[in-house]
Amino acid sequence: MLLTGAQIIMECLLEQKVDTVFGYPGGAVLNIYDALYEYRDRICHIRTAHEQGAAHAADGYARSTGKAGVCIATSGPGATNLVTGIATAYMDSVPVVAITGNVNVDLLGLDSFQEVDITGITMPVTKHNFLVKHIEDLADTLRQAFQIAQSGRPGPVLVDIPKDVTGQKYDYQKSEPLPLMPLPHPDEKHLQQAAEMLRGSARPFLYLGGGVVASGASAEAKVFAEKLDAPVSASLMAQGAFDAHSPRYMGMLGMHGTKTSAEALRNCDLFVAVGTRFSDRVLCNAGLFARNCPILQIDIDAAEFNKNIDVDLRLEGDARQVLQSLLALLPQQEHTSWMQQVAAWQKQYPLTQSAKAGVLPKDVIETLDALTDSNAIITTEVGQHQMWAAQFYKFRRPRQFLSSGGLGTMGYGLGAALGAQAANPGSTVVNIAGDGSLHMNCVELSTVANYQLPVVELLLNNSVLGMVRQWQKLFYGGRFSQTTLDTNTDFCKLAEAFGVKAYRIRTKEEIEPVLRKALAEHGPVLVDCWVDRDVNVLPMVPAGASAEDPMLEM
Amino acid sequence: MHEDENTKQYVLSILARNNPGVLLRISGLFSRRCYNILSIVACQTEDTDYSRILIVVSGDDRIIRQVDKQVSKLIDVENVTVLQRDKAVIREHLLLKVSRTAQTSEKLVELANVFHANILDVEPDSMILELTGDAGTINSFIELANPYGVLQILRTGAMAMGK
Ligand SMILES: Cc1ncc(C[n+]2csc(CCOP(=O)(O)OP(=O)(O)O)c2C)c(N)n1
Repeated sequence: MLLTGAQIIMECLLEQKVDTVFGYPGGAVLNIYDALYEYRDRICHIRTAHEQGAAHAADGYARSTGKAGVCIATSGPGATNLVTGIATAYMDSVPVVAITGNVNVDLLGLDSFQEVDITGITMPVTKHNFLVKHIEDLADTLRQAFQIAQSGRPGPVLVDIPKDVTGQKYDYQKSEPLPLMPLPHPDEKHLQQAAEMLRGSARPFLYLGGGVVASGASAEAKVFAEKLDAPVSASLMAQGAFDAHSPRYMGMLGMHGTKTSAEALRNCDLFVAVGTRFSDRVLCNAGLFARNCPILQIDIDAAEFNKNIDVDLRLEGDARQVLQSLLALLPQQEHTSWMQQVAAWQKQYPLTQSAKAGVLPKDVIETLDALTDSNAIITTEVGQHQMWAAQFYKFRRPRQFLSSGGLGTMGYGLGAALGAQAANPGSTVVNIAGDGSLHMNCVELSTVANYQLPVVELLLNNSVLGMVRQWQKLFYGGRFSQTTLDTNTDFCKLAEAFGVKAYRIRTKEEIEPVLRKALAEHGPVLVDCWVDRDVNVLPMVPAGASAEDPMLEM
Repeated sequence: MHEDENTKQYVLSILARNNPGVLLRISGLFSRRCYNILSIVACQTEDTDYSRILIVVSGDDRIIRQVDKQVSKLIDVENVTVLQRDKAVIREHLLLKVSRTAQTSEKLVELANVFHANILDVEPDSMILELTGDAGTINSFIELANPYGVLQILRTGAMAMGK
């Protein structure tokens, strides 16, 4: 079939069963947008207000479904606006395919209008990228892009396509998506060794990372925790990978982890890490982390072994497959007194919060949790509200919590929310935001309004850059340099200006009725919730200290 | 540069598909992760679809294992071998321009003979010598030529081939 390059792109998207893409038009992608018009009954395009929003939306689409997300931007500034979103996806191993237009092939490298070397720019933040100079390579390159993005440890892939390539005609032949690349699997000897370690442990600690979500290993992790009879902690990236309602679940570990997880870390005799890269936010002080017990690490990416911390036994493979293999080798264990000890810590050290006056973020999020039966998809921006969301919403299942863990991108959440809502029209999607973050991405309120995406923007408005201010309080003698916002922005009016309904919460009593109303709206809505600026994220491990010793108050 | 006693030099031999930007991808990975490249040599192989890239890095075992794994992850990279010095032939190529007078000429020719260096060019007041050898040989050659007045040094990075 003789098609233009732009039509071939559409056909390749259909091969991959892509139903929704996010993007923003421009000169270099005119042919692509013309084809999008032609294919509009099969491929839905959501135009965000800014390309960064499109990249985050594709990321939210991918994180909430497990499928690859797609974003499209024009050359030059359109492409560079994607970069933060691509880097965000890279740091959290999210499969995103970014398609950028570029100037005609014969104008490449001449500093032409709106030309930028986007493959050069994105090399460090993509799993791989391509520049397609010949129409005959276009279809195969796109197929490879999807294959690479989704295989093994997922990641973003960028495909840069000059304008004339999208205009030329070429013979298109339909094809099945390329099979995912084969996964490594540890050899029998190492599995046996691991099983021996597991059997020999009296106080095992199971720690789950984002890889558990990526590999779809939650069910296996649950059975494994029960068979091992171990308490479980999860990284920020793995919120929902283990049901937070389970008595085994101890909450997060690391800088803002729970005291229970910290005590378990201090007292365990085997640390089993699945699908985690041991971020410095978790290790806190790498030299002191789990220094008295062996570490068993399961990861699909061999480069994660002995990178941030030395481990005693490494199993290279897909988390789900490796857990299945281990389950077959592990008899039912019993660690009654250890589990009792953990339960006692949980009772002794609950997560609390206090403020001199007004609304507590904890109460807001716990009310949201109750009203949504712990079932909403929660996205977040970055800051204190992000940690509170992870601490107080009781996630039941994977792909329910979408947050920028690795890059820590303020502005991620609203874009991700609209992507997740587009991918899951039947779900309640709530973006928990801070006012600093909302100032960065409020333009995307127009997108949720335009497309009537029923995203709930839940603003925990403390009039400060809370997380940074907390550090200033702790480490800079309370010199609040540039973190007091007090901007007079009326967020309700702002939302209404974009066509988004708005409510306000100013007192504790208003929390429940207002949240109830907002959730019943079934349309885009913002809730401006005024919270005390002096509430801290606690516990907190101060820089350089051991993850075993979090501060409980400050 | 600060080097502790565990720091050694390693030669990474990388076989990579000849796609555009492949050298940038690989060298970019080194700079991004703060691995120090001492030298880099890239060339086509017997199969024109592939390039061979030889990189000398310094670091301890742990860093080298990381480098190896990070480079292996790149989509264009087919294979990475860390060559050990005693199990590989390692050669460098040197071009050296040295000043010459009627008095020193004979000495320089003698020096070239001892090292089996080639004399590529002779000008009234300078000559260009060529030498291939391991880094040690090349270093001593330069040292011995130094008193005569070295005008320019050009040396490639290490080429290495497993035995
Ligand atoms: C794009 C970007 N710029 C700067 C930062 C640094 N930063 C981390 S948290 C934070 C404050 C966030 O404030 P806000 O969104 O109001 O949330 P809060 O902490 O008050 O809940 C800042 C500035 C960042 N993470 N991302």
